[in-house]
Amino acid sequence: MTSTDDSRPVTLSEVWSYLKRCWPFYRPQIKHLLAFISLTIFSGVLVLGSMVLVEDLVYNKLLQGEKLQSLQASMFFLNDSFVSNGGENEELLSLSERDTLRDRMIIGGGFWVIIVYGSIVFGTYYMIWIFQRVNQQLRVEMLSRAEHLSLRYHSSSRTGDLIYRVYQDSATITNVLQWCVMTPLRVVGWIFFASLVLLFFSPWFGLIIFVISILMFLVSKKFVPIIREKARLSRELNSALTSRIQENLAASRVVKANSAEEEMMRRFSHDSKHALNAAFEMRLYISIYLLISLLLSIGGFIVAEYFMATWSIIEKSTYLGGVVAFVGFAAWNLGAFRAASAQGEELAAQVWEASYLISIVQDLVMGLRRAFYILDIEPEIKEKVNPKVFPKTIQKVSFESVAFSYEKDHSVLTDINLEAKLGTITAIVGGTGSGKSTLLSLLLRLYDPDRGTVLINGTDIKDFSTSDLRSNVSIALQQNILFAKSVKENIAYGIESTTEAEIIDASKIACADDFINDMPLNYETELGERGGKLSTGQRQRLSIARALLKNTPILILDEPTASLDAETEKRVMSNIAKWGRNRIIFIITHRLSTIKSADRIAVLDSGEIKEFGSHQDLMTLKGDYAEFVKSETGDE
Amino acid sequence: MSDATTHDKRFDDRVDLDTRLSGSETLRIVGRSLQFIGRVKVFFIIKILFALVSVLPPLLVPWILKIIVDHVILQQPIDILNANLPSFFIPLLGLLEGLTPSEIMFAITSFMLVTLTIFGLRAAPAEQAEAWGMPIGYDAATQSEQALSAGGSKANGIWGLIELSLTIRMTQRLANDLRMQLMERLTRLEMTTLDDQRIGDSVYRVMYDSPMLPGICYRLTIEPLLLILGTVLNIYLMQSTYGDFIPELLKLAVFLVFLILFITIPLTGLARRLHQTNRAAGASTTNTMEESIENISAVQSLGGSEKEAQRFSDASEESYRRHRHTALFDALISMVNYICIFGSMAIAFVLISNSVIEDELTVGDYSALISMFFMLSSAAGGLGLYLVEVQKNIAAVRRVFFFIDYTSEYNDDARRMGRIQKGVKIRNVDFSYPDGRVALKNINLDLPIGKVIAIVGPTGAGKTSLAYLLPGYLRPSSGDIWFDEYKLSDRSVKDIREQVTYVFQEHMLLSDTIKENLLLARPNATSEEIDFACRISCADEFIANLPDGIDTGLGKAGNTISVGQKQRISIARGILRDTPIVILDEPTAALDPKTENKLMAGLKQVADKKLFIIIAHRLSTVKAADQIIFIEDGKISDVGSHDELMSKKTGRYRQFVNLQND
Repeated sequence: MTSTDDSRPVTLSEVWSYLKRCWPFYRPQIKHLLAFISLTIFSGVLVLGSMVLVEDLVYNKLLQGEKLQSLQASMFFLNDSFVSNGGENEELLSLSERDTLRDRMIIGGGFWVIIVYGSIVFGTYYMIWIFQRVNQQLRVEMLSRAEHLSLRYHSSSRTGDLIYRVYQDSATITNVLQWCVMTPLRVVGWIFFASLVLLFFSPWFGLIIFVISILMFLVSKKFVPIIREKARLSRELNSALTSRIQENLAASRVVKANSAEEEMMRRFSHDSKHALNAAFEMRLYISIYLLISLLLSIGGFIVAEYFMATWSIIEKSTYLGGVVAFVGFAAWNLGAFRAASAQGEELAAQVWEASYLISIVQDLVMGLRRAFYILDIEPEIKEKVNPKVFPKTIQKVSFESVAFSYEKDHSVLTDINLEAKLGTITAIVGGTGSGKSTLLSLLLRLYDPDRGTVLINGTDIKDFSTSDLRSNVSIALQQNILFAKSVKENIAYGIESTTEAEIIDASKIACADDFINDMPLNYETELGERGGKLSTGQRQRLSIARALLKNTPILILDEPTASLDAETEKRVMSNIAKWGRNRIIFIITHRLSTIKSADRIAVLDSGEIKEFGSHQDLMTLKGDYAEFVKSETGDE
Repeated sequence: MSDATTHDKRFDDRVDLDTRLSGSETLRIVGRSLQFIGRVKVFFIIKILFALVSVLPPLLVPWILKIIVDHVILQQPIDILNANLPSFFIPLLGLLEGLTPSEIMFAITSFMLVTLTIFGLRAAPAEQAEAWGMPIGYDAATQSEQALSAGGSKANGIWGLIELSLTIRMTQRLANDLRMQLMERLTRLEMTTLDDQRIGDSVYRVMYDSPMLPGICYRLTIEPLLLILGTVLNIYLMQSTYGDFIPELLKLAVFLVFLILFITIPLTGLARRLHQTNRAAGASTTNTMEESIENISAVQSLGGSEKEAQRFSDASEESYRRHRHTALFDALISMVNYICIFGSMAIAFVLISNSVIEDELTVGDYSALISMFFMLSSAAGGLGLYLVEVQKNIAAVRRVFFFIDYTSEYNDDARRMGRIQKGVKIRNVDFSYPDGRVALKNINLDLPIGKVIAIVGPTGAGKTSLAYLLPGYLRPSSGDIWFDEYKLSDRSVKDIREQVTYVFQEHMLLSDTIKENLLLARPNATSEEIDFACRISCADEFIANLPDGIDTGLGKAGNTISVGQKQRISIARGILRDTPIVILDEPTAALDPKTENKLMAGLKQVADKKLFIIIAHRLSTVKAADQIIFIEDGKISDVGSHDELMSKKTGRYRQFVNLQND
């Protein structure tokens, strides 16, 4: 599913809004983040401090033999003979003293390496742990939202797309702190500071900075929308590729059945090429943009450096350098050249970094949009704030003037009125595509009706929580979906606690016990992907057993017997009829023998219940049902 | 294998169980990976040339800055004979001789602007470019996605841009070639393997394991080459500037290389194992997500949403944990590395400082030599790190090669049998599953083209096993099957399947448009042929009623069209393919009687040039067949038309019919 407004420009306020949205994911880790930052600062200070110390110790003390300051000596546990008394013509360190100093420095250095690199190395590990936790929270929230989204969303979205969003798009959240907070602050700070220093040297630099800023702005205006668009495309096409792979593999059997391997490879290759091209183009445009930015910023700096050098030759006086303490150069000389050149180089590097930042943020925001998109989908199935408790005993299920359509102007159900009482089996009959399965999926709230209400004991099912409702209504699906788990786990799927005996009982009612016992590991046998390794009839019976095990007051069987032979069908149906005495059962079926075991038959046609009653009632009516029975039995 | 069974549970791998890699297997994988370079030969050579040149320009920078300071700002005259510059720089200096300081500055500025444009001279090194593109996370999947389009250059400017683009393209080519190979094999896995191989795991292998191939190709060729070249150049520069340095230093550096290799090589096995489990855990996370989302309608209607979310959360947590293990290992290795480097630095420090204290070297020499040695020892450490890092790629690529090498049913055989004319002959065929269960016993059948044949029998009787023999999904344990005069056991799967189309009971459709779904079977079908196939399968009416007709997209949960409608699309696809044999598994299970009759009539209409084999339970469907095969406990107990079989008073078929009519 592509949301077309993903191509809108990235504004500062959007970045700000994502910062706010990411905060709840960072907040639980804030203590760890602070600890990590402290650790980083600690090792940073240690590195900088020790560099100054080592420079002095090596060059002045060890190599030239000067005596140490008392603090330095105590750091290395050296006695007073090493310490300088501050006198003018002090003695140098003796050779053996210098050896001692060196040995102590090496030992100290050993500790230093372990502490500093240790904190860097394990700090990195710590950081990975923190960001993984941030990402984990987002991933789980996305997936659990997806699990609860209505089937209407799922039927128009692709599995691979969700995989891509949960992996790739959600991972961008780990970069938010760096690219939306830390780096921008540093870059802006540096640019401001370096520009200020340069201005004090000469206002001409202001002109250069101004001209380059204008040019940079124009270049960015040209390139940023392209980069954004390429980033979006790259994400969408790679997500489409993931879907393609997933679908190809899920459809392996069909591919085989139609010898469509080459066609599938062609489609895959096509998608793969497009995805790679998009990834390439995004990187290419970023590179071109960065190259232009580089030529402008470093080029400007080289030109500025030319002026600095020529002014130094003539020792031209600086603009305000002499009066401002932190510049401190009244006229151009080598020192002034070095200082100004260093600032210029830093400024150019920061400008380049800024354009890098801008490019990255384009892609980052594309990722965030796609990740938060899942969280932003308004769930169609809304939960009541104070749901009613599902009744202990139920009397009836009723559909009142229910209308439903998957798409506008294409209604499936127009006006359904149906009531089923405790202890009855209601068969739903009708042409293919007449909406039988849809009708009963409303009872599970997989969808909500457009109009009308579905009631249990006279209470609108929207007043119950969906989890409460779904744990009281069980269904054996028409497409016998099984999972790649053991037989036992498949039967007990979705049930909190159950015993082995209950599982076996349910299997017996569904006539599945026999064939399960023939399997190599019986109930522990692992089923293949999507429950392969079983025949359709066997899968069907496992689905039925699963629905029975839930032991709910309401049971829906969608074409439960389509793949069973007549004998097994009879056994299953009579078991279910016995089992269902105190329940309400709905059966969708085409099979006459199954229909006959029902108490009530509802004939669904053009979105309405056209005929309703017992087999005898409907036969005397001589309507569609009688017609159907005639065509099923033929002349016999 | 006890280790393997534990893997089985933890990461639900059921095919790729033994993930251990011995040293020689590792070398073989490396060798095999390096062969891929042959596919991008030209790219690779150009890349090396570009990379070699990119090393040079940065070496100029310090000397140019020195000229600016000495000869421009301090205005010292240029004295070529006594210039303390590397020899290659002398001719360049000669050009500046005799110029005024401003002129020198102008010349240098012009030179720098030109080299900036071409090589990005004086820009920050463009190695950051390696991470260009997608911001990555802290897991193997996102890092692999980045590795798919990785590229880099030591230069910047136009040169760097070209090198970068070239490298990205080369990386993509390498990864995509492997990806295609893997995908090709995965689509040709045997039917029995398909049951065991998790889809999510395969997705992970194609998406995230394949992109790790280029890493092996670079980390063992270009990268060490550049590292060594950079080191040699630096030694040369130092030597030409400062003369001979302490020869012990060079020996020390060489010793360090061996020390680091000695420590890291034994650890590479551990590194591979950690990366294997990291990837297995990632694949298992993908399985969880794929399974629950693909089957979302079942998950929701069975009330499994919370449980699935929890299952995903656990799997994802585990995969992050496994990834951290690899990170921890990397951390420890680099720690060991630092300690080795520090140790050798300490020795170098003693040697050099001694020389200074004994007045053999100056303080300035100390500074030059110690920084040079630091560079040397870091390079030595770098070699060790390459060796460890490349294990990550090897672990991933092993997972790809595993399936490329796995038994697949595809064996290309140039012989073609041509469209068969007469029919299928089955003689004395037995079939038992690998676990010993007997499915078919002594099957003898003649199935002529031009007939609609129904296979009937109780569930579990062996109907599907029998039908699976024809397209070669299963091969007989004994006995023979002929298509016309061609014996199937002599023929390639591809050849056989040219003749047979199987329409599964589970109507598997792609989330594509209806038209794309149909065209899968025959990419070049005309719209007339498509219309015809839809008409025969009774799909035309409901398709016409869909908002976008045949171009309507089908969702994955596909709930917008009913099961019966999906079934008819599958049948239309089977008919469109136009093979002489079409097998329909329960084609009418979800159809109402009216549609069912129409469908059967339609099939009969096109049956004169085809053999339709229908597996069915429904009496009305069975009755419409020309011939009925009744199968029970793997044996054929009745063959004949409906009327013939009904006339046998004690026939099993008759009992079966009577049961349904009760």
